[in-house]
Amino acid sequence: MERTSPRLRGLLPAALLAALLLYATWPWLPFARAERTPPTIVFYGFSILADAFHDGIFPAFQKTWAAEGGGRVEFVSSFGGSGTVTNQLLMGVPAQVALLSLESDADRLADAGVIARDSWKRLPNAGVLNLTPFVIVVRPGNPLGIRGFEDLGRAGVRVVHPDPMTSGGANWAIVAEYGSGFRGSPGGAAAGEAVVRGVWKNVVAQAASARAARTQFENGFGDALVTYEQDALYDRARGRFHADIAYPSRTILSEHMLVVVDRNIRPRERPLVDRFVRFLWSDEAQRVFVRFGFRSVRPELDAGNPGFGGIADPFRIADFGGWRRARHDIVDGIWKDRVMKAAAPR
Amino acid sequence: MSARGPASAPRATIPVGIVLLVLLPLILMPLSAIFIFAFRGGADDFLRALGSRDAQFALRFSLIVAFTTAALNAVFGTYTAYVLSRYRFRGKRPLGIVVNLPVAIPTVVVGTSLLLLWGPIGLLGRFLAPLGIQPMFAPAGVLLAHLFVTFPYMLGAVKPVLDEIEGTYEEAAYTIGATRWQAFRWVILPALKGGLFSGALLTFAHSLGEFGATVLVSGNLRLRTQTAPLYIFAQFEAGNIAAANAVAAVLATLSFVIFFFLLRFTERRGR
Repeated sequence: MERTSPRLRGLLPAALLAALLLYATWPWLPFARAERTPPTIVFYGFSILADAFHDGIFPAFQKTWAAEGGGRVEFVSSFGGSGTVTNQLLMGVPAQVALLSLESDADRLADAGVIARDSWKRLPNAGVLNLTPFVIVVRPGNPLGIRGFEDLGRAGVRVVHPDPMTSGGANWAIVAEYGSGFRGSPGGAAAGEAVVRGVWKNVVAQAASARAARTQFENGFGDALVTYEQDALYDRARGRFHADIAYPSRTILSEHMLVVVDRNIRPRERPLVDRFVRFLWSDEAQRVFVRFGFRSVRPELDAGNPGFGGIADPFRIADFGGWRRARHDIVDGIWKDRVMKAAAPR
Repeated sequence: MSARGPASAPRATIPVGIVLLVLLPLILMPLSAIFIFAFRGGADDFLRALGSRDAQFALRFSLIVAFTTAALNAVFGTYTAYVLSRYRFRGKRPLGIVVNLPVAIPTVVVGTSLLLLWGPIGLLGRFLAPLGIQPMFAPAGVLLAHLFVTFPYMLGAVKPVLDEIEGTYEEAAYTIGATRWQAFRWVILPALKGGLFSGALLTFAHSLGEFGATVLVSGNLRLRTQTAPLYIFAQFEAGNIAAANAVAAVLATLSFVIFFFLLRFTERRGR
């Protein structure tokens, strides 16, 4: 060190900095640029969609668009908890198309004037793009013998659950828990509340999104995870799943809602965005969803994935009067006001 | 330290051992875990994870933002330090506190405050939005956040040096007819070089690792505003630990290198 001349010693950091700068700016340098940047679609989605869109839908649509003579198209995307995505949309992110986990997030956007009221209902299938039932993921061999949501309330079961404040999946999960009690016993509403209470007494970790909750579970937290069937199936398909799925006999099928944010779409981008939206309900796109573990809005396509489990009594949010009512009565009325208040330390 | 003779050397084993025992689980082991996990799938997997378009964009974008932040704050910070050190005016003390505030404010609060000012529903942003100007959720927003968060580092590195420079050299320059700029350029700047360099490195390093403010103002868009730390967080949350760790290992290495230079540099000046 002492032998090198001071000039040489000064040269090393300078050379390093220059190399870093060159690396950083390379794609934007005039001679390195291969071609003009193609048109883009800005897509926001809730957490579990990331791979299905990134690896499935986007490439498939790029092929379709090119085959129809549209040329190249790029996707710019962001994925997070459905509530997080909704809050970002409320703050004004430049999303053009967004897929939300639940309709009440779309309602919040309409309430704030981000999108026109009920605009999603004018889309194919009233805006519902795909579905997946809520299941319980347990440790291999199901050592605790968990069969349904009511079993999660047993003493000593540690439950990993996404956070209803930011995760759409968590909201679905609460309605699933409530509904399984409500429909499964003559006790009705009281039985439903008892199941929610039991589960939440045992929640040991809350993550911001369903994907994040799964990562926590994978990292060894808890005995059971309440999540989308898709999330578990997709992991299993990739051989990364070191757990079992317990299918409750009664559970909800979540319906995921597409919204188009008109104010972020310039007139010349309109045909591209419209084509993309139509593409999402095509057989091709729906098959991609099935391949990635979602259930299609066309049940006949579900045969494409042998992993789907059977559910004796699947129910929908419409059975509880839609999301506006379910949110008010079940998520806010029961979970937030009664269960969480009772659980809070005094 | 050298004042004590070598006789005290053997007794150092126990205190040094205690320090290491504390450092090992606190700092060294977590850091090595990043590298172990990054290369667990072999070099091929590491390079593939690093070579993905999203990862490459995130790294490049982070570096560009860090370079720009360091360059701009070198100018702003030095000028502010010069004003604070050379001029006498009312409100100098409060100003001195305000410019140092960003170190004390949680970065998440910085992000929120920027959104509430420049965002589409913000105090100023709501007038800009109809004009089609939207600094938030765009690279400009990330840059604004980083300028804010790292502002005091440049100041902190430059101002003490400025305060120490003897006024006599400057006065001598003025007596032979130098303007303020000439005095700054030929008398002060050469003496500031060291402070400028370490301040810029610190700013660069902090910008490279900034998370709290960026996650709010960027909108976390892949290939547009996602910085390397946001990429790491998003991939880790999604369970793609290999992808997250490849970029994390690169970031960690970069900060080692920066700190190595910083330490050697300050050491040399300290002698």
